[in-house]
Formats: sequence, structure tokens, C-alpha cells
Amino acid sequence: MIDAYRRMMNIEQPPAPKAARGFFTDTSLCIGCKACEVACKQWNQLPADGFAMTGNSYDNTGHLGATTWRHVQFIEQAKANGSGQDQRWLMMSDVCKHCANAACLEACPTGALVRTEYGTVYVQQDICNGCGFCVPACPFGVIDRTPKTGHFEAGTAHKCTLCYDRLKDDMTPACAKSCPTASIQFGEIDELRANARRRLGELQARGESKARLYGMPDGQEAAEVGPLHAFFLLLDEPKTYNLPEVPRLPRKTMAERYGWSAAVGIGFALVGALVFGRRG
Amino acid sequence: MAEGYYDYPVVKRPVWTWEVPAYFWLGGMAAGAYVTASLAQNFGSADDRRVAGGGYYVAAAALVPCAPLLVADLGRPDRFHHMLRIFKPLSPMNLGAWTLTSFTPLAFARAASHAASTGLLRGPLGALARLVPTRLAELAGGVLGLTLAGYSGVLLAATNVPLWARSKLLGGLFMASALASGSAAVTLQAGRGGVPDATLHRLTTIESAASAGEMAILTGYLVQSGKTARPLTTGRFSAPFWLGAVGAGMLLPLLLHRVAGRRHGRALRSLSSAAALCTIAGSLALRWSIFEAGKVSSEDQAASFELSGGAGR
Repeated sequence: MIDAYRRMMNIEQPPAPKAARGFFTDTSLCIGCKACEVACKQWNQLPADGFAMTGNSYDNTGHLGATTWRHVQFIEQAKANGSGQDQRWLMMSDVCKHCANAACLEACPTGALVRTEYGTVYVQQDICNGCGFCVPACPFGVIDRTPKTGHFEAGTAHKCTLCYDRLKDDMTPACAKSCPTASIQFGEIDELRANARRRLGELQARGESKARLYGMPDGQEAAEVGPLHAFFLLLDEPKTYNLPEVPRLPRKTMAERYGWSAAVGIGFALVGALVFGRRG
Repeated sequence: MAEGYYDYPVVKRPVWTWEVPAYFWLGGMAAGAYVTASLAQNFGSADDRRVAGGGYYVAAAALVPCAPLLVADLGRPDRFHHMLRIFKPLSPMNLGAWTLTSFTPLAFARAASHAASTGLLRGPLGALARLVPTRLAELAGGVLGLTLAGYSGVLLAATNVPLWARSKLLGGLFMASALASGSAAVTLQAGRGGVPDATLHRLTTIESAASAGEMAILTGYLVQSGKTARPLTTGRFSAPFWLGAVGAGMLLPLLLHRVAGRRHGRALRSLSSAAALCTIAGSLALRWSIFEAGKVSSEDQAASFELSGGAGR
């Protein structure tokens, strides 16, 4: 009967699941060339962000946003003693994490945000009505809404699609394709995780004691949002890269919040019934 | 020096504008008025029941701008109906859209039924309104109303904005504020007509209970939020919060109710109406200041790291 309804309403069957794909971004290899940012903009036909200067570093993009789906951070740190040994320059190409339990997807009231057959998180532009709930729901500050009066897909939510259109044609996403140092690696998640563990071992053997993986199934960052389909090798703690230690999934505490709300409502109804019940 | 990447925010600033707190305020007041009216109708004396009709009118009137406000806030208002293409109560936004969609016609039907019973609504429409099963509408509307009053704070809290998400009590706080302003709206309406003093006293008692509950839960909210509450308790939004929401919205009405408790006739009417107006204005100040201070809080890198810190959760 459901099948008959689907035929009548012209509802397509979702595509059959495929092996999960994702990104492994190895920040130890990033040279900050921003080829990924440019390639992403070109392939996805995203408008420029303007020419504002942050004044902090060569990173004048600042954040991921509705029209910036790859963003290269330039973490320039120098200690005050002026010794060259204490200066460091970390680079990291940030992107949507395509969480296994995605806060944006759970928040979405229209079903515009979906999980694709590749295990990635995707915004259906013809469904999104721009309610904006996914924007503050994301614990990483990734997804954003375009201005209502813009020229590019005005008023809807946007983020990295993991080049869904390219995946459909068995192509590598534009950022990974353009990366000259293989800092951005694309592939099947299981393979990427094996690569990541091997690379971490190499770096640790060379004395990079602070190196760590961020977004693996056994990491504390996966406690709520689950493993990340776009995960990272970092050279310092997550905060250095503006990444939360344990990204929060709002659903985890929602029942308790509704509980308090319901308790107040029921309490009021009881007081009201009692007060009106004392008929003068 | 900031702990993170320069002092850049960790999470995105909410894109919502003034329509959202305005809707939370009106929707909450409508729900509170409907619940109060239904309590009076089902548990009150014959005199108490006379305030119920006014309550249903207030609820219906406050609901009129709600759906337009919600639609106006969308990035694509022409697609507002996409909210209803699925039923997904996991998303408070979807739950709220369904609740508003079902509560609004119910509240209008109950108000129409009252209008028909008093002879205000005649003809075929009046005959139709007389068919509304009032008891069922009161029960179902009560449940839907409490959902409408209670989901808005949970919606804001189901984000990663530190000011909204840090404490677990925002949903309860908005619920209490909605019930206080809704019962105040019923009092305001009752104060105009020849309602006996005893009924007005009962209404102010209920309002006081709601305001006192609101005070208590707000205290808990501020304690749980700790330093995260600074954008609300200090700075730009501290005046509307302390003077508007707390002073005018909770303390002053509680004081006026205490005085009104021993007064009768015109003095009682003026005092209870003044207190009701304060409560209603304070309810708007509460939603607005918490909403706007949340935007400031979203840019607070340290508060975000504290919220998502591994230890002490």
C-alpha cells in the first residue's frame, strides 16, 4: 500500500547505500596554498567573499560559511621571547565534518537536510525554506544561510556537499583533486582511517608528540556527534584549530529540557485547578 | 591571548530576527490565556466561567500575527509549507510548526463557539460554531497550548549557542513566562467587565504563582549558566533584562498582587490591570533580551569551549 502511495505521489525510492566516502585532512601536509578554497568555489560556482582583511594572518577568509565550503586556517603563533624556536605556523584546511549524528540534519524541520547514499550530509536546495535552525545547531559553526536578498541561492542553508554531483560520476571532490600535497585525501572511510592511523604512527615516531586524530570512532569528540566523515590529523589540541573538544549534539539533552518545561506547565495546571476549585 | 584560533567564534551567529521573539511572546501568551480560560471553565464557579470567554478571545487574537511572523522570518517565505511536508517531532522547529498549525484553528473554533453561545455570532456561522465540542476543544487545546508555550525555549536551547544551551531550564523559563503573561491577559480582559472581586482575586493568585515560579526558574537558569550569562546580565541587554523582564515583569506584579489581595472594587481592578500589563510587557522583554543576548553569546569563543569542554559535563 505504501508502494502504491509512493507511485501515486511520484515519490522516488532513495538510492541504494554505497560504501561511505569522506575526507581525511592531514594538516601536517598543508602548505596553505588555498588551492582547495579556489577549486571548491570554481566547481560549485560560489561567489567571492569580498576583499576584507582580517589583519591576523594570511587567512582573510576567516570562517566557513554559506559560500565558503573549504577554509584554510593560518595559525601563526610566536612566544614573546623572540626566539625562532618558539614560533610556529600551523595550517589546516577546514570543511564540513559530515558527522555520523549530524546536529544540522536532526534540527532540519523540512527534511531538506538528508544523508546521502555515500553517508554524507546534503542540503536539498529545492526543499530548504531557510528556517535557519541548522545554523546555530551545528557545533562546528559550518552551515549558514545566504542573505535573503542575495544573488546566490538567496535565503537558504548551504555547506559543503562533498561534491555530491562529482561523486555521482565517480569523480574526486574538487578540493581533494586540487590539493598539491595530498593534505586532503578523499576515499572510502575505512581506507582513510587506516591511512590516518599509519600516518599518525609515523609522525609520533618522528617526535610529533602532540599529533592526534580528530573525528575517529574512538575519539572523545565522537561521543555525541559520532565519527566524522571528514576527519583530521592535528598537530596540537583541537582548540588550537577552533574545534570543540566534545562537539555537542542538541538531541542528547532535549528530553531533560522538555521535562522541565512540562513540569512547569503541569504545575501551573494543578495550581489553576486548585485555585478555581475553591469555589467562593 | 585567546585559546582558540585568534578570537574567532566557534559557532555561527543565529540568523533569526525580531519576528522570532515576537512570535514566542504572542504564541506563549495565547497558549497561556487558553489554558487559564480552560481551567476557569472546567474547575471554576459560575462567576469564574464568565472570564473564560474573554480568555478564548484573547488567545485567538494573539494567535492572528503568529503564523505571519513565523513565515516572515524564513529565508524563503514562499516555502513555509515545507515545514509540514514531514512530521519530525525530533526537530523542535517541526514540532512547533505542527503545534501552531493545529492549535490556531482549535483556538478560533473555541472562541467562535463562545461567541455563538453569547449571541455575538449568529446565522449559519453561529450554527456551525455551536457544533464545536467544547470540552474536547478545551482538553486538546490545553495540551496543544502547553506544547506551544513550552517548545520555544527548548528550540533555542537545542542549539550550540552557549547562553541558550548551557542551562537545562530555558524551556521551563519560557513556559512559565508564557503562562504568567497568558493568565495576565485573561485578568486584563476580565478587569474591564463586571466580574466579581472573588474571581479577580483568584486570577491574581494564579498569576502570582506563575510569576513566582518564573522567578525561581530564572534564578536556577542564571546559576546554571554562570559566566555564560554575562551577555544577558551585563552590557547592552542588561537594562531590558533586569529592569524590563525581572523588575517590571516579575517583581512589580508580585508586589501589586500582594496589595491587590486586600483591595476590592475599583482599586482591585486598577491594581490587577496594572500588574497584568507589567507582566505582559516583562514577558516580551524576557524573550527579546535572551534572544538578542544569545547572538552576542554565539560569538563568545571561551563560552563555546566551556560548553563543549570534555570535563565537567
